[in-house]
Formats: sequence, C-alpha cells, structure tokens
Amino acid sequence: MRAVLILAGKDLRLRLRDRSAVLIAVVIPFTLALIFATVFGGNETPRPFAYAVTDLDRGPVAAAFVDVLDRLAERDIVTVRRVADPAEAAELADGGTIDAAFVLPAGIGTDGTAAIEVIGNVNAPTAADVARSLAAAFVDDLTSVRVAAVAAAGEPHDPRRIAALAERAARFTPPVSVVDVSAQRRILDTRTWFAAAMAVFFLFFTVQFGVSSLIEERAGGTLGRLLAMPVPPGAVLTAKLLTSVLFGASSLAVLIVATTAFMGASWGAPLAVAALAGAAVLAATGVTAVVASLARTAEQAGSWQAVLAMLLGMLGGVFFPIERVPALKALSWATPHGWFLGGLGELAGGGSLREVLPAVAAMCGFAAVTGAVAVVRLRKAVRP
Amino acid sequence: MKALAIAAVDLRRTLRDRTNLVFVFVFPLLLVFVLGTAVGGVAVPRVGVAVAESGPLADRLVAALAAQGAGISVRRHSVGELAPAVAHGELDAGVLVPAGYDAAIRAGHAVTVEFVARPGTVGTRVGSVVRAVVGHEAGRLRAGLFVAAERGVPLDDGLRGVDGVAASLPRLSVSARTVGTDLDTGGRFDTTASTQLLLFLFVTALTASVALVETRRLGVLRRMLATPTSTAAILTGEGLGRLTVTVLQGGFMMVATALLFDVRWGDPFAAGALMLAFASVAGAAGLLMGSLARTPQLASAIGILLGLGLAALGGTMMPLEFFTPFMRTVAHVVSPHAWAVDGFTALGRGGGFGDIAVDLAVLLAVAVVLTAVACRRLRRELPGGTSRSALTRGAGRS
Repeated sequence: MRAVLILAGKDLRLRLRDRSAVLIAVVIPFTLALIFATVFGGNETPRPFAYAVTDLDRGPVAAAFVDVLDRLAERDIVTVRRVADPAEAAELADGGTIDAAFVLPAGIGTDGTAAIEVIGNVNAPTAADVARSLAAAFVDDLTSVRVAAVAAAGEPHDPRRIAALAERAARFTPPVSVVDVSAQRRILDTRTWFAAAMAVFFLFFTVQFGVSSLIEERAGGTLGRLLAMPVPPGAVLTAKLLTSVLFGASSLAVLIVATTAFMGASWGAPLAVAALAGAAVLAATGVTAVVASLARTAEQAGSWQAVLAMLLGMLGGVFFPIERVPALKALSWATPHGWFLGGLGELAGGGSLREVLPAVAAMCGFAAVTGAVAVVRLRKAVRP
Repeated sequence: MKALAIAAVDLRRTLRDRTNLVFVFVFPLLLVFVLGTAVGGVAVPRVGVAVAESGPLADRLVAALAAQGAGISVRRHSVGELAPAVAHGELDAGVLVPAGYDAAIRAGHAVTVEFVARPGTVGTRVGSVVRAVVGHEAGRLRAGLFVAAERGVPLDDGLRGVDGVAASLPRLSVSARTVGTDLDTGGRFDTTASTQLLLFLFVTALTASVALVETRRLGVLRRMLATPTSTAAILTGEGLGRLTVTVLQGGFMMVATALLFDVRWGDPFAAGALMLAFASVAGAAGLLMGSLARTPQLASAIGILLGLGLAALGGTMMPLEFFTPFMRTVAHVVSPHAWAVDGFTALGRGGGFGDIAVDLAVLLAVAVVLTAVACRRLRRELPGGTSRSALTRGAGRS
C-alpha cells in the first residue's frame, strides 16, 4: 500500500509540474466552456427585439397599443422607434435594421374591420412571431371586450348601454394565463451545460496521463527497474490507475469550483454532483485503461484515446444537441458522457442524490466492465 | 525543388498514420452528416400539450393550440412525461393544462397554464405563440363569464352568445407578412458543411504542427542545414507541407460533401479560392505554433483550444447574425473563421469573386503576417540566425 501511494504521489507531482497536463485538465476546458457559453448564451437571453411602429390613427386605441410596446421597452424586452411613414417602416424591416414593424391603420378604433399590419424581417422569425403575437393579443383583448359588451347588451342594439358594459367588461380579468415554469424544470442552463460538457469531454484526456504513463515507463525501461525492486507488480498497476483517478477527480473538482465561481454555473446538490463526478472519473479511467492495454506505443495509445474520446463525446452529446435525432439520443446512453450530462439535468430542477443514482450506477457499470478488462490485460504488461 | 521534397516528406508522415486519416478525412464527413441531420434545415418546433384532466374547455384549448398555424407541431403528451421530454430535448417546449381547468373557470377562478421550454430562441418563439393562443381562449372565456354574470345564465349559454356575436361582429384583425432577403440558403447540409470545413481545416493544421515541434526538438532542422540546403528552402518546404495537408483535406471535404450530401458551394472557383485562402491562414497558424511550442503535448493542447475556441467565436457553431454587434466585432478581430464564414455565406447566396474580395484579402493578409512571424522564429532557432544560407555561416556549429 505504501508503495502504491509513493508511486502515485510521484506521478501526480510530475503531472502537476507538466504544463500541458494542467492545460488539458483545467485551463482548456474552462476557457472553451467560457467561450461557448458566451457565444451561445447570447442566444439564450436574446437582445431586445427591434420594432418600429407607425401610427396612422392617432386615436386612443392606437395609443393604447403603442403604450403596450413602450411598457415592454421599459423592461428591455423590445426597442421601439416611431416612424411616420409606413413605407419607411417596411423599408427598415426589409433592410434588417429592425426585426418587425407595426402599422396601425387610420380608423383602428372606429372602423371594425381595420387590420394591424405586422411586417417582419424574414431572417428574424422569432422577433416577427413575437410581434405578431403581441398584435394578436392586443386585438383579442379589444375584441373580447366588445364582444362581451354586445352579447351582454342583447337586443335592441343600444350604443350607450354597450359602451357602459364594455367599460365594465374591460375590468373583468381573463380567467386563464400562462406561467413560464422552465426555470424550475430539469433543464440545464447554457452555462452549466457547457461547463459540464467540456469538463467531462476533457476528463477523458486528463485521465490518460496516469494509465498511459505505464507504456512510457515500459518504453523508457523504468518499468523494468520498478519491478526489480521489492514492489509487487500489482502495486505498480494500482498506482497508475490511482494516479488517473486522482488527477481526473482533482481536475473535475477544480473545474466545478471554477465554473461556479467565475462563470455562474449551477451544478446542483453537492453530494449528488460529487457522486456523478466520481463515477465519471472511474468510467473514464476504465475506458482509457482498456485503450492503453491495447496500444503498443505511447503515441498509439494517445491517438487511439483521442479518437475514442472524440467519438464518445460526440455520441454523448457534448458538442451539439443530439436529442433532435431520437436514434442518436438512444445511442448517447451507450456513453458515460450521456449519463453524466443526463444526471446533471436531473439535478437542475433541484433533484438530489436519489435522482442521479441510475446515472451513477450506469457509469460505475462502465468502470467495472472496462476496468476488469484493462486489469486482466495490463497485469500481463507489468509482469516482471 | 528541395522545398518540394521536404513538403512531400511532411505529407507522407501525416498520411501514413491511420488515426490521422480518421481525424482528417472521416470525422469531418461524419460530423457534417450527423450535424446536418440533427440541426440542419428548417426545423419545426415540437410542442407537447398535456391535459391533466380532460373537459370541454381544456380540449378546446388543446385544439386551438394544435390549429395555431404558426408552423409549430403540437402533439398530445402524457402529463408525467412532459417535463422529462422537454428536459431530454425530445420536445422543444411543453404546455400543461392543470387538473380542474374546466371546473375552476366555471367557478370564476383564475387558472394558470404551465409553459416549459428549453433555453433558446425556439423557446421564446413557441412561448409567444402559446401565449397568443391561450390569450385568445382567455378572451373568449372572459367574455362568456361576463355575459353569464350580467345576464344570470350558465357559462355555456354565455359562451354561445359570445360566439354568435363574435361571428357577426366586424372585427379588428392582424395581417402579417415578411420582407427582406432570406439568408437561409435552404440546403440541409450547406451551412454545416462550410462551417465544419473551416473548423476541421484549422484544427488539423494546428495539431499537425506537432510534427514540426518534433522536427525541431530532434534537431532535424539543423541536420538538414548540414546538407547543401538553404534556410529558405527548408522553411518553404515546411510551410508547403502544412499547406498541402490542409488543402487536401479542404478539397476532399468540398468534393465529398457536394457528391454525398448535395451541398452547394456556389461559384466553384470562388469557393476554391476562399478555401485556399483559409487553408493558408490555417497552415500559417500551424507553422507559427510549430515554431513556438516547446513540447508536442503543449502544441496539441493549445491546438485544440485555439481550434475549437476560434471556431466557436468565428460563427461556425452559431450563425454570426445571432451575435450581438459587439461579439460580431470581436469575432472578426480575433477569428479568421468569421471572415471565411462571411465569404461562404455570400457564395451560398449566389455571390461571386466580387462579393468575397474583402474576405479573401483579409485572409491572405493574415496568412502572410503569420507566415512571416513563424519564419522569423524558425530562422532565429537555426544556427547563424539570419536569412542567409546557413552553410556559409557554419552549419556545423551546433
């Protein structure tokens, strides 16, 4: 046991002094997560939609609609510019200066058949849809008040009675509203997602520094010298695996703390995150050890591990939303990456250790199977 | 001629390694296929509607959501599976009509319909459509409730009256149209192919710099100088070697995606020139990295960082149109990808050489600057440290 610790301690010290190891383990995943979150995060909290409004009516109804827009502008959801000429508004939308223009026709309040025109830029479908929905909601509100008043008034048609009823109806709150509960559900926000995706992707590179050094020691002849000492062969192998696990675990720990502190990532309940991270480290070590046991040279091991890490990462959904293709989503469960990210998703809604147990078990399964294969094969490699 | 021989050796070294071949030729095509299938083309947002307790009013709301006509696919979903389906991405958004919806409305209580969406613009868009549909239903119910209250009749009678009036009453409406030039070139794989081309050309060129680092560390460069070979020939050869790998990869990807996935690259000569210009930048960046990095591991680590980081910043993973103006400026300042993306976008819209002149010029200028810096570095490392042939300055000194 003492030999194991001494060997692993020596290896860890070597890795910490190795600049490229620290780069791969911490600096690169953190920087990439930051870049991805910046690039994609801008999309999550969109810039205010740029609208223009042309009021050809100048009556109270049109003013009420402009007021709706102004209130949204105060909350930085939209920007509103007033344009006198409808042709100019259409031109602004055409050129993409604004996302959509509203044209409020003359007689909007008096002529029952008037139409609010929404001119959207073809490349801003979201903003155009939102604009159309805003106009529709306004029109629906007006219509429902009028309809309520007319229907309540009944025959004969008395404009004054209808007007009085309309005033009362307008104070009647609509019984159904929509509440957005997305934040409470099990969906990782962009920042946490990229932090987790990059962390688990580079974990499969980080753990290589332990197991693969076995091949280097063999090539460099130091393995033979180690085995000539009163150290059981199993201790050497255990030390190498332990180095991978410890180095991987510390890199994940640093990344979790750093992304939480500097990127605003929220990983979830600490105990559950620790369980997921631990299981991921074991799985990564197992998979990497199998590759190391198959390779003849360190270069070969490095490039095979890189191919496998890329492939598993890709299938596990680290780089792009695979869930759009159900077949790929199913395949992602064949990768530790898929389980790790899935487990974190369970935590996003406030889940605890119990919710991530399936993911932890699955990754431990990977670790057990690959680890067993690797140990059987590598035991031969460390035989004196 | 010696430069060509050096380049040929470089090329052979890269192509002999089978895992290199996978990374250079197979992975990019695989990614284009998978990404094009997953996110390419015009995706119809998928929304699930779950009704906790069925009733005439709840069913009517679901029918209204399904008939919204805003290009959103709405399907019925089970209550328990709704949130997980959104979380796992099988659905873009979900709408939950709560239990007791009908009863609460009939009793005059307020009801909230829950909306859950994945972060992103699709969620925003679907959310606005759902709000409009629910708002329309809420308007009708409000009118019905008002009439029922005013006239002392049941809600269903009130709603009947409201529907009758609504059908006969002239009503305000919304007319919507879109204007502008559609930036979407239409092909499912078009954008994916050009962006993956840029991403992989750059990553390949940077990671290939590992070979140059090894050449330097092993002293091969200095030994080459012991032969009657000029520094210029060696540098040209090394640079040419880098460039050839990238151009081979780029040409292969363009032809293969055009044949396999029907990708339209636009004017072939202009597209080829743009690829060449970007490959020069990538090759030059690889040369510079190879001249700077002290160990191969460091070179490949920084290669991954720069290769993925600059690609993300340059708009290969998210269209530059979606960037804020500030980020778009940042993209064009730090990332050569941004200029190439602009160029390929222009070509995809039917542009020609004239439309990509600026992009080409910027890329070539960057390539020249990077090459010059890299050559200076490499020269300094060689004995003599100047541009003159090292033979006349005593190559044997090392």
